[in-house]
Amino acid sequence: MARILLLALGAAALVAGVLGGLARLGLPLDVASGAANHGALMTGGFLGTLISLERAIALGEPAAYAAPLAAGAGAMLLLAGAREAGLWVSLAAPVVLAIVSARLLRRQAQTHIVLLLVAALAWGVGDALNVAGAAPNAVAAWWLAFLVLTIAAERLEMTRLTRRPAAAAPAFHACVGTILAGAAASLAWPVAGGVALGAGLVALAAWLALFDIARRTVGTEGFARYSAAALLAGYAWLAAGGVAWCGLALAGYAWRDAALHALGLGFVFSMILAHAPVVVPIVARRRMRYTPWMYAPLLLLHGSLLVRMAGDAGMPAWRAWGGVLNALAIAAFAATLANALRNRMADGARPTTTAGRPRR
Amino acid sequence: MAEESRGTAPSLSAFDYSGPPGLAPAIAAALRRVVDPEMALNIVDLGLVYGVEIQGRDAQVRITMTSAACPVAEMIIDDVVDELSGVLGEGAKVDCELVWEPPWAPERMSPRARSAMGWD
Repeated sequence: MARILLLALGAAALVAGVLGGLARLGLPLDVASGAANHGALMTGGFLGTLISLERAIALGEPAAYAAPLAAGAGAMLLLAGAREAGLWVSLAAPVVLAIVSARLLRRQAQTHIVLLLVAALAWGVGDALNVAGAAPNAVAAWWLAFLVLTIAAERLEMTRLTRRPAAAAPAFHACVGTILAGAAASLAWPVAGGVALGAGLVALAAWLALFDIARRTVGTEGFARYSAAALLAGYAWLAAGGVAWCGLALAGYAWRDAALHALGLGFVFSMILAHAPVVVPIVARRRMRYTPWMYAPLLLLHGSLLVRMAGDAGMPAWRAWGGVLNALAIAAFAATLANALRNRMADGARPTTTAGRPRR
Repeated sequence: MAEESRGTAPSLSAFDYSGPPGLAPAIAAALRRVVDPEMALNIVDLGLVYGVEIQGRDAQVRITMTSAACPVAEMIIDDVVDELSGVLGEGAKVDCELVWEPPWAPERMSPRARSAMGWD
């Protein structure tokens, strides 16, 4: 039950963050605190809650749930207008997540878990910079590093299943190092830092496109194929977002919407669409059946993002339309997910029980 | 390597088994019905099953995961308990333990899984 409540906190942050984003695009919505905190709600409030919830379940210790609780509660405080309290409560989440990651590392000393720990620290740096009132691009760079490195860590773990050339591991580390160096430099040297971060993202996209198991599983069927399609489409946006981030550093604000949303929506949300049908049933302790309808929100997400990018490239009206369709894609995915959960329950499947315990 | 010796009875040598020999094929078949959703491969082919011990009507299973940070373990354990309960019948006690020693390595994958992931 606690898991569902934490999931609900994350979902509330998502809804508020999306509405705030639409208000920023000029839609007549009365959501001042959502609009003011769009980035914090989407990154820490929504994704931070989900990611730390996922890790808490994996660790299986009650104290680990303090991370998603802090992330979700912090987002709610921000929404309620208690900005100062919200930022400080939010900051507790990456601290606990870093401790949880360190404990997982003690259980299994693997590179990808080290990277999860580094990602949690990047989230903490982003939050701390936000508290300190640093430049928005520097905060965004660290938040982005958190999301990208978390996803990269999870995919790196999967690539262990495939045969990789000897150069793959050092190349991966070089990508991660460049991204971190770029984020670190963004505060003092915004241009050099931004270009390094963008280049690191493009390189990581190429690495993932080359070595991820998605290249193989896209040739299978059912959920595995759908998931692989979402992953590969996400990698294309990761590369595009890296280029746009360089544009943001070199040419300025005009590139900001494209950079943040190629990465935040095109890459990160595509990963969510690939991953959520596995994770949400675990969090909700239910079963889910794959349906080809899952492709519909995936296509809508990527199509609507192209519309938005056309807007960014000089057709302002398209940007708002793209944004509305982006929001619809997220809503459609949530509906598809809810329906797949409900279907499976109606089929007579039992809710899952605590791990390791006999069901009957 | 070990794969060569698996040629004759791949369903049995993929993990340690102790229990009535007659039950082994059904146990292996049940575990093969537990599939990792993202990889489209079952847990036996992935080499995630370390051992199965049957005593009377009860089963003790040891499995591992490729990552300690992944919450899918919970679902896979439930599936294992579910499938083995189906084989052992009503009232059987199935205990599935998640272990991290020895750590999983790609060498544990079956020839079929290795081929699907491009090793051969």
